Amino acid sequence: MTRADRLGGGRFRAGITAGVGLLILLLLWEVLARALSGQFLLAAPAEVLSWLNAQRGLMTRALIQTLANAAAGFLAGNLVAIALAGIAFVWPRTERPVTGLALLIFCLPLVATGPILRVLLGPGNGPQIWLAALAVYYTTLIPLLVGLRAAPASWLDLVRSHGRGRWAELIHIRARAALPYLFAGLQIAAPAAFLGAMVGEFTGAERGMGVLTIRFIRAMDVPAIWALASVAAAVSILAYASIGWLARAVLTEPPPVILAPPRAARARRWSGLRQMLMTGGLALLLWWAAMQALDLNRFFAKRPGDVFDALFLAPDAGAMRATLGSALLETAVYLLPGYLAGLALGAGLAALIVLVPPLAALAMPLAVALRSVPIVTTAPLIVLALGRGAAGTTALVAVMVFFPTFVACLHGLRQAPGQIMDVFDSHAAGRLSRLIHVRIPAMLPAFFAAARVSVPAAILAVTVVEWLATGRGIGSLMALSASISDYDMLWASVVVVAVLSVLCHAGVAALERRVLRRYAPEQEEP
Amino acid sequence: MPSIRWTRRRMLAMGGAGLAALPLGLATRRARAQTPVSLQLSWLHSTQFAGSYIAQDRGFWRDAGLEVALLQGGPNAPVEPPVVSGTALIGISAADYTAAAVAEGAPFRIIGVAMQKNPFAIASLPQNPVATPADLAGKRIGMAVANTPVLQALCTLNNLDIGTIEIVPTQYSAQPLVAGEVDCLLCWETDLPVAMAIQGVESQTMLLADHGYALHSQTYIATEDSLTNRRAELVALMAGEVRGWDACRADPGAAAELTLAMFPDAGLDLPTQELQLQRQLPLMFSDLTDRNGFGSWSDEAVAANIETLGLLGREVTADLWDRSILDEVHAG
Repeated sequence: MTRADRLGGGRFRAGITAGVGLLILLLLWEVLARALSGQFLLAAPAEVLSWLNAQRGLMTRALIQTLANAAAGFLAGNLVAIALAGIAFVWPRTERPVTGLALLIFCLPLVATGPILRVLLGPGNGPQIWLAALAVYYTTLIPLLVGLRAAPASWLDLVRSHGRGRWAELIHIRARAALPYLFAGLQIAAPAAFLGAMVGEFTGAERGMGVLTIRFIRAMDVPAIWALASVAAAVSILAYASIGWLARAVLTEPPPVILAPPRAARARRWSGLRQMLMTGGLALLLWWAAMQALDLNRFFAKRPGDVFDALFLAPDAGAMRATLGSALLETAVYLLPGYLAGLALGAGLAALIVLVPPLAALAMPLAVALRSVPIVTTAPLIVLALGRGAAGTTALVAVMVFFPTFVACLHGLRQAPGQIMDVFDSHAAGRLSRLIHVRIPAMLPAFFAAARVSVPAAILAVTVVEWLATGRGIGSLMALSASISDYDMLWASVVVVAVLSVLCHAGVAALERRVLRRYAPEQEEP
Repeated sequence: MPSIRWTRRRMLAMGGAGLAALPLGLATRRARAQTPVSLQLSWLHSTQFAGSYIAQDRGFWRDAGLEVALLQGGPNAPVEPPVVSGTALIGISAADYTAAAVAEGAPFRIIGVAMQKNPFAIASLPQNPVATPADLAGKRIGMAVANTPVLQALCTLNNLDIGTIEIVPTQYSAQPLVAGEVDCLLCWETDLPVAMAIQGVESQTMLLADHGYALHSQTYIATEDSLTNRRAELVALMAGEVRGWDACRADPGAAAELTLAMFPDAGLDLPTQELQLQRQLPLMFSDLTDRNGFGSWSDEAVAANIETLGLLGREVTADLWDRSILDEVHAG
């Protein structure tokens, strides 16, 4: 995208390419559906439309229900994220514990949180709203924290030279610098909120698109399944596009050149470990306190002590650890390749779109759709294409990881400083050379933020796929444990999954620090 | 348990989900002299619970002073937690899940049995049928890995080597069977085969219950605490269930229509609901229920259940079943 595009010059052309892209997608869909007819896998666009027309009353009521819950969750989750980012910024000492706890809570699997929310909140929309909020707050918080630091040192010096404090700095400079990152977070959040609200309905909601999805998958009503998927995708694409439109309307200035003095590397290993232990302790305390305060029954709401007993002191503790270990190993085999493939695909596609902008019209709707359509709908198709083995599961994980990475990288690539792009313009430098020398370095903070956010996303994805499709690994173990009331095992799995997420997250963060110290020193924590 | 209800209200207020409190509040006010209780269903609304809908619709519970909320289940809505925590007075479970929960310390008793015959079946296509357990040898079966103990029990009961069957982990859908990815499915008699029939795919089923797999399903469970302290409510709730299901048996067509009318947003269709009920009622009623009333069981059935549960790795005694509530229902 050139500066002229940013200022609205290419709007009409973009509209045409978007239309052509949509047409190509529909055509591909129709061809694929015809090729697969009789398999009860995929309905053609025409069948979907006629189903929607026949059942428009039912569909509208379900959509309104789910959309309202998703919107409430989207709002609540993002407000919490903004508040948390503000707290972490104004009191820098709180950043590690806040992000650490936020990460832990984001990692809690639906299989465990769903039933507890249902018992706490009773019948109604509570669990759907909470799960939608839980699905979005972290993916907004992390880019926002990155954005708050993405301000040139010279601007900050100006504020400080006027003797103003951190509040003035936050409001006048950092909040503005963070806006592009906030919009990226909101765009990632839109389909996630919708999916979260749908999956929240699995906890016994009376109505909504999630309830209908379960119903129609069992009924093998393929046009109905794909009608639901299409509506979910369409709503998410619209939300994504509207936020993008809003972002373009608000962000009219080209991004600034961010120059910041490199900081001296400090010995931070020990302080990092101490912080991690502190966060862990805080999490255990919160866990225990929440269960006690809400007076949740020990039968299903285990306390930290119960899990410790079950894992280390009980007579069958050894067998339990062995079961957990082997499930974890099965999961890890799919997790790592899926995660890396998703990252590579996301960053690669974003770069490709910057090189060949018309591709966006084709890739964007598909990317958003993949993220918003419940995995229960797409899983059988991917399983058909790639089998039930490692390839299929890996691909499903990659799909879940790919989207946040893709969006974050696309935004990151567009954060290339205007002045530097002007220099390259004046030298008539090609798109490729601009990509390599300007855009990719500018993208790195966003890429790493996405890579960190994607760690729990990948783990959640693999557990959901295992739960619903493959029946192996830790996701399946959790579902099985819940069904046979083995809540010790369920909570132990939750702890293991959360710890695993945090460790992988720490690994990515360490790599990030090494890279960004060179390319984006402003991102280093003070 | 007043403390829990108070907590839930407070959570609602804190969680910004105040809307959810609205129907609860209205229901309580309208009921006035009625005692509010909840029945936790095991799955989404359908004719699977038609007897309860009739009881609700015809006021069987209202006349007995109960205001009953029917809580829908779902894939991520286990029945045991709401029953243990007192949110639901009665839950609909199955003997194996109940036995597992009891082993984990839940104080449950089975106070009624809706499905005398277990609904688990092997579904296959006529051109490659599974009519007897012996036919399973060399077949690919689509099922959740979690149900392996069920298949193992069937094999043990019929002297089959489970190693000769290829287990393919699949989603709970008939699609892999129709697409030829597997030769048969482990599913319920009343759901996936009905879906295939409605979609115009002819299939056949072999009930596990006809080959030694004796396990009560759709069982009514309550806690020992409720059995001691909330007997009158339990009796009233079960009395409504018994009357509701007897009415359902008398006129299944009306029951299916009522289900659709009560849940217009559930995406139900009449042919599916009628067919489901038609396949379900034979599992629920027998000579025994004709003699002793809906929901009852014999000592022989309990002994057979204990044996099957043993094969599934669950050790239980006959004390898990508690006849006292149904006795009061049928006496009164």
